[in-house]
Amino acid sequence: MNAAITSRPVLHSLLAAGACAVAPHALELPPWVIAVFAIGAAWRYACETFQWYRPGRLVRLALMLLVIVAVFRQFGTLLGRDPGIALLITLLGLKFLELKTLRDFVVSLLVFYLVILGGFLYSQSLWLGAWALVAVAACTAALVHLTQPTGMDMTRRLRLSGAMLAKAAPLMVIVYLLFPRISGTLWGLPADAHSGLTGMPDTMQPGSIRNLSASSEIAFRVSFDGAPPPLRELYWRGLVLTEFDGRGWQRGRAGGAREVSFVPLNEAVRYHVTLEPSNKPWMPALDLPAIRPKDARYQPDFTLEHREPIRERLNYTLTSYTRYRTGALDAAERARALQLPPGTSPRARALAAQWQRENSAPQQVAQAALDHFRRENFVYTLSPPLLGGDPVDEFLFDTRRGFCEHYASAFVALMRAAGIPSRVVVGYLGGELNTAGNYMIMRQSDAHAWAEVWLAERGWVRVDPTGAVAPERIELGLDAVRRLEQQGVALGSLPNEAVLRALELGWFEYVARHARWYWDYTNLAWYRWVVDYGKERQEQFLTSLGLDDISWSRLSILLFVGALLVTLVYAFLLLRPKKSVDPALALYLRFCRRLARAGMVRAPHEGAHAFADRAARQRADLADSISEITVLYEDLRYGLAISDRKKFISLKKRVAAFRA
Amino acid sequence: MSATHAPGDVILGRRQLFMLPTRFGLLFALLLVVQLLTAINYGNGLAYALTFLLGSLAVVSMLYTHRNLFRLRLAAGICAPVFAGEAAVFRIHLVNDSDTPRFGVALMHDKKEIAGVDIPAHGSADVELPVPAARRGHLTIPPVTVTTRFPLGLLYSWSRRVALEQSCLVYPRPAGPTPRRTREAETLESTRGLKTGGDDYIGTREFRPGDSPHHVDWKAVARGEGWHIKQFGGVYQPTVWLDWDTLPGLDTETRLSALTRWVLDAERDGMLYGLRLPEKSFAPANGEHHQHECLRALALFGLKP
Repeated sequence: MNAAITSRPVLHSLLAAGACAVAPHALELPPWVIAVFAIGAAWRYACETFQWYRPGRLVRLALMLLVIVAVFRQFGTLLGRDPGIALLITLLGLKFLELKTLRDFVVSLLVFYLVILGGFLYSQSLWLGAWALVAVAACTAALVHLTQPTGMDMTRRLRLSGAMLAKAAPLMVIVYLLFPRISGTLWGLPADAHSGLTGMPDTMQPGSIRNLSASSEIAFRVSFDGAPPPLRELYWRGLVLTEFDGRGWQRGRAGGAREVSFVPLNEAVRYHVTLEPSNKPWMPALDLPAIRPKDARYQPDFTLEHREPIRERLNYTLTSYTRYRTGALDAAERARALQLPPGTSPRARALAAQWQRENSAPQQVAQAALDHFRRENFVYTLSPPLLGGDPVDEFLFDTRRGFCEHYASAFVALMRAAGIPSRVVVGYLGGELNTAGNYMIMRQSDAHAWAEVWLAERGWVRVDPTGAVAPERIELGLDAVRRLEQQGVALGSLPNEAVLRALELGWFEYVARHARWYWDYTNLAWYRWVVDYGKERQEQFLTSLGLDDISWSRLSILLFVGALLVTLVYAFLLLRPKKSVDPALALYLRFCRRLARAGMVRAPHEGAHAFADRAARQRADLADSISEITVLYEDLRYGLAISDRKKFISLKKRVAAFRA
Repeated sequence: MSATHAPGDVILGRRQLFMLPTRFGLLFALLLVVQLLTAINYGNGLAYALTFLLGSLAVVSMLYTHRNLFRLRLAAGICAPVFAGEAAVFRIHLVNDSDTPRFGVALMHDKKEIAGVDIPAHGSADVELPVPAARRGHLTIPPVTVTTRFPLGLLYSWSRRVALEQSCLVYPRPAGPTPRRTREAETLESTRGLKTGGDDYIGTREFRPGDSPHHVDWKAVARGEGWHIKQFGGVYQPTVWLDWDTLPGLDTETRLSALTRWVLDAERDGMLYGLRLPEKSFAPANGEHHQHECLRALALFGLKP
């Protein structure tokens, strides 16, 4: 076991396996770390191939110390993920220079497996997972090569390693799904891990949602139990803004810990949300959510807030009612919902006062505002002009071109001026139905702002002023609006033949869109089953299998029994005696058995020909048929007649008729 | 089983096979523990997956290791006679009756492993097992163990000790140069005629075990005409009797050794020689077959059949 390994092909296998294992780290670690590994490998290769100088023990020791110092200088420590993996990789590089015995080789190879795992600590992408399979196959093939240096060529080793991994995969899946997970509180994540996350801001300034609308990043994905509600009802409540400073909207002081409740007026909708990390605590929920997921607070304004900013992909299941009636409004809440900064937007105030005089009911005032938007020359556009110091007046009376936030902001300002409690709600509207996986993709660009007014008999009522200007935004989604705008089709004319025609997809777009959907579905499945598969997902999965009472011991028993069953099936498949694949050989063996019964046993070393001669000498009466059968068999098995049907049938007949 | 096999063959069954992890296997287990701890600590789904994949790989490799020996057939091959003091080389056929090749199958005897061989599907491989032959007589093949580390070297599987029915004939150790003691009368007795052993080709006869491969008519073998021995002759040969009784006062083994030496010398010198033992005698003749018969009688002299 400790004999020196001198075979060059074995070294090549090891180098290839090492390259596969280390390659993904080039994306994350300082280049010099990868360089040390590559130089070590290349040097050893040169030693074997061109008889280069091979460093002695002292030199190797010095190099090792040098590398450790370098790692320490780079990271300031030797502990932790980065320095740990950097040390592993650099020392593996140096190890190439001293590999001698089988044991050295095997130890290096086993550490490669650890290096592959190290890559997952940086990224758990689908690509890396796929590459890791390649690397594991290469390492396993190298391990086969190390311990079975003869007999198999590279193709055969790779095939064997592939076949074993393919058999290991179902077993792995069982263990993976059932191995008891602990809730993930052990990890310590680096501080900079969450920069660059896109999320809805907690204030609304003119232009802040428009910034989001440029981002096609995915905000969350939703799958509904049953058919999804129509697009126009898919208002995803993010956060509610009540405090207005004349320009922008803030959340303001949160209400007391009042018990919030509402009366549902239609069927519940149940759905699962996979929320991408946003570094914000908002948990979008369909208007209005009825239950509170784990680790979330139910705010008095019917929004859900996570206990900390969401930095990992979050999965939660919710029930919502899209028709509802909320309760009374207390004095403080009412005051907040009527607040307007003094002295701003005089023209808007005048307009509101006029409506208030003309209409008695708040509902009519709201309708008057919507009619105003519809009747007057308002335009919904994704590229509105910039607004100055008093955006409400400027928008209402001068520019009249705006985006959902402009309409929501102006509408609420008008309502408040008219003495109607109201507020801005920011969230998402619409989304894209992914037919590949039957779920909805909500992007940051689907961000939307609308208004809520409080009416005495109905409580908070959602009013979307954007709908008065661009019903396409509500009915068809932002994607449709963008495409219509690109094609120069006027908004606000729904339903219209021209709109529908403009929305028809060309075949290329159709294919591209479906391809994108399938890819997104693959990613979602990857998140659900690999990246996010923790304690909660495991419980969800087991519950969906109909298992409740998921205790540690029950899981272990399930796991053990499942793995054992699969192993037994494999044992049966691998160890059962197989029928010979070559029918000619089977026939010949039957012929041999008949001869054996007559006392002529073929010795293991005896070829068919030699055996036939011997048997014919022993039984001259059978000499002819023995020789015929043997000649036919040899032709079929080794000769030119391998697939000769006639000869095969002739052999079959002769063997059947043969009696010794 | 699908193949024909002789009654003395041994097929390795489930109960004859054992398995334990090797040192590399233990190292691999350690690797799995480290990986699992990392996966738990980082709550990393892919790390879990890799750990379990490697664990499953080890389980699958267990089946492969077992299959590599399972239903392997061992058959004893021929063993050429040797003289005491030499090493008898037993030939063991490892026969693979299955559809999958077997790799790295090794034999273990006397705590020594004999390099692994690969056995193709429906094929066989021969392993030579040298065993020192200390005493004349029949040397039975020592029990051997079949081992393998296929495919990943993580597991070591071995069989119960397998005793094959095969023995090797061990001739007595030839004595050093010993002057031949013969009876005068018989020395003079010589026969004229065509005898084998000369330089002239006189025809062929059928191959008998023990014949020298130098005289095999290889061309005829290649033509598929069977094994024949080319015979040479044409010289006059003296005849001698090698007699047990000419060696009185010596112990049995010494006598046998001396006779063995004489048989070898007589054969080498191309003489016609007869052998006389207390209970057996061989008429004067010559040739490898005759020599083998004489040496065999000497090897088995006084031993229970």
